[in-house]
Amino acid sequence: MNFNSSFALPFSVGVMVLFVVITYKYVRWLYRLPDGDKRQIGRNLFSRQTWKAVWECVTESLLHRRIFRVNPVLGYMHMSLAFGWFLLIATGFVETVAYMGWTPVPLRGHVFFKYYSREAVHTEMWQMVFTNVMDALLLFVLSGVALAWTKRVYSKMLGMRRTTRHVWGDRVALTALWCIFPARLLAESTTSAIWHNGGFLTGWVGSLLADAMSPETLVAMESVVWWVYSFALGIFFCAMPFSRYMHIFTEVPLIFLRRWGIKSDDRPKSFDHFQLEACSRCGICIDPCQLQRDAGINTVQGVYFLRDRRYNMLSAEVADNCLMCGRCSERCPVGVDINSLRLNSRYTFHNSPSFRRYDYLRGVDTSQGEGKVGYFAGCMTLLSPRILQAMERIFEAADEQVWWADRNGGVCCGRPLKLTGEVDAAREMMRHNTQLFQKYEITTLVTSCPICLKVFREDYNLQDIEVLHHSEYIQRLLAEGRLKVTPTAEAYTYHDPCELGRGCGIYDEPRAVVKSVATLLEPSETRNMALCCGSSIANTAIPDGAQLKIARSLGQSLEATGADGVVTACPLCKKAVRRGTTLPVYDLAEIVADNLTTRH
Amino acid sequence: MIDFGFGVNTARAINMDTNDLDTAREIFDRLPDLQACMACGSCTATCTAGAITSFNFRKVHTLVRRGEYGEAYAEMSKCMLCGKCRLVCPRGINTRGVVLLIKKKLGDY
Repeated sequence: MNFNSSFALPFSVGVMVLFVVITYKYVRWLYRLPDGDKRQIGRNLFSRQTWKAVWECVTESLLHRRIFRVNPVLGYMHMSLAFGWFLLIATGFVETVAYMGWTPVPLRGHVFFKYYSREAVHTEMWQMVFTNVMDALLLFVLSGVALAWTKRVYSKMLGMRRTTRHVWGDRVALTALWCIFPARLLAESTTSAIWHNGGFLTGWVGSLLADAMSPETLVAMESVVWWVYSFALGIFFCAMPFSRYMHIFTEVPLIFLRRWGIKSDDRPKSFDHFQLEACSRCGICIDPCQLQRDAGINTVQGVYFLRDRRYNMLSAEVADNCLMCGRCSERCPVGVDINSLRLNSRYTFHNSPSFRRYDYLRGVDTSQGEGKVGYFAGCMTLLSPRILQAMERIFEAADEQVWWADRNGGVCCGRPLKLTGEVDAAREMMRHNTQLFQKYEITTLVTSCPICLKVFREDYNLQDIEVLHHSEYIQRLLAEGRLKVTPTAEAYTYHDPCELGRGCGIYDEPRAVVKSVATLLEPSETRNMALCCGSSIANTAIPDGAQLKIARSLGQSLEATGADGVVTACPLCKKAVRRGTTLPVYDLAEIVADNLTTRH
Repeated sequence: MIDFGFGVNTARAINMDTNDLDTAREIFDRLPDLQACMACGSCTATCTAGAITSFNFRKVHTLVRRGEYGEAYAEMSKCMLCGKCRLVCPRGINTRGVVLLIKKKLGDY
């Protein structure tokens, strides 16, 4: 077979560009990984994680299982494009091998095989099977393209209220991608009209073309349509490494690196590139964002943040304007850790060397008590004295000797500073509090603030101290029988605080505590998709009005459960939710303390 | 004299015509809700850092608004950004945003 034809040139150039750019990028990023990350890869290279990563590549990069969970039609659209195209390439390769044996065939030979094999004999059964399977796959991909067109016009049909606003580079690549498969259909059909080598689809379209045009026109048209097809491929491949379609390849190394335990940090590092460029800008993160749906802010969502950062046009305004509630990451089909990336962008913008800013912390110790169980109220609990009093009653009822770290005012846990990117300054606070905990040799640290809890667990190095949220602690007391409560006839709904639920993975303990006192009603969006209260400490950009809008929207969803009251487990959420609803709002500790069974 | 923990400020004359108000105006442009401040002092009363040091958020941002920037950056750097002030502010001012903005406009980072 003769594989010489000029129309393949744009395709070949595209493939070369794609190969060179992608190789350059990956080698550079991998080379620049910190030594710790490289060692980590070395340790996990030959482990079960590698096999798990292979499986994840199949289920996510090809089948897009996570998008199916968002919306089946949307999932089908992405799967038909990814898996369908993959099968086209793979089956096309097998077909070429079946025809040619294992002789070396240039890449264009595989891709344009219909053209090159037009003079071959196509009478055998297996050849007909190949032709029709390839047509079926092409139809599969074309159905996805049709859905993609529909989505641009009417995204609601595919379960998305909003889709991404794309930059022009993405639009070029998108247009080329949309042209590839119709162009392929036309090219193969034209060849089929002349040579009668088509399957059920290309053969049928070919016969329509043959009916409509003279043989001379068809022959003249053939090379044109193959040029068009090749150009569509070439343009797409050239645009790919610079556009959103870089995700097609980058998702694979990302899955492997993630399985090997590489994570983004509170400071930027080379691994971030894999996360940034694995974002497909599908826009699934836009709908869950409450800044978008309640406060009308349309430029800061995960997809726009990642895009701006990738093209070095990120502004502090975009990086800072986020509640970091994590709802976007829960939905992200690629599993990009958007919050960590945003955090280290904020580090770039805001971290200032701490110098001696917090020298005044030295020697500050307002703690009381002797117990080995420490209680850290946190700034927000100190502003909610009812929670503090409830905890006092609970400790007393359980006969717990408590060391009160900050009942009379203390030092912040450091998470607010960390969340604004001032990582070095936050370290000062962490060091101070750690020294305090060690000085009093506590064995358990209870906090009623999920913000503090997250930083204690993630950033503090408290080896011998068990850190518990008060929901876990109370649940334990109830289970051990150290605390007895009298159930009431009330029905409460529970609001998951972002930092406690998505942040620390604590969903069941607070629910168990609520159930011990009252009936529990779940709002429509709950657990890992629970709404944010809007007052998140991570957002320093939105004004009070926007916070209120988000709180009211949350209030409506909580009221829709028909509950008598709202229970939450975060002092900040409690204050925020109260502004958004007419229902009474309680902290978990309050409903327990109010319903303690008095001992006789 | 009994020390009640507060004193009386000595009388000062401020000439608003000679003070450089450019930075103050930029801060107002970016965070206009700061103009709603009525200097009630709730922010300072609840302040975590203020309980430990002489850090006084109301004083610092009032000085900045008047164009008196000296020491303001160093003072503002004492803030721990815990956010209690934002919760108690009766005018709903984004106080944490104010802290970051003042540091950004007055510091050189």
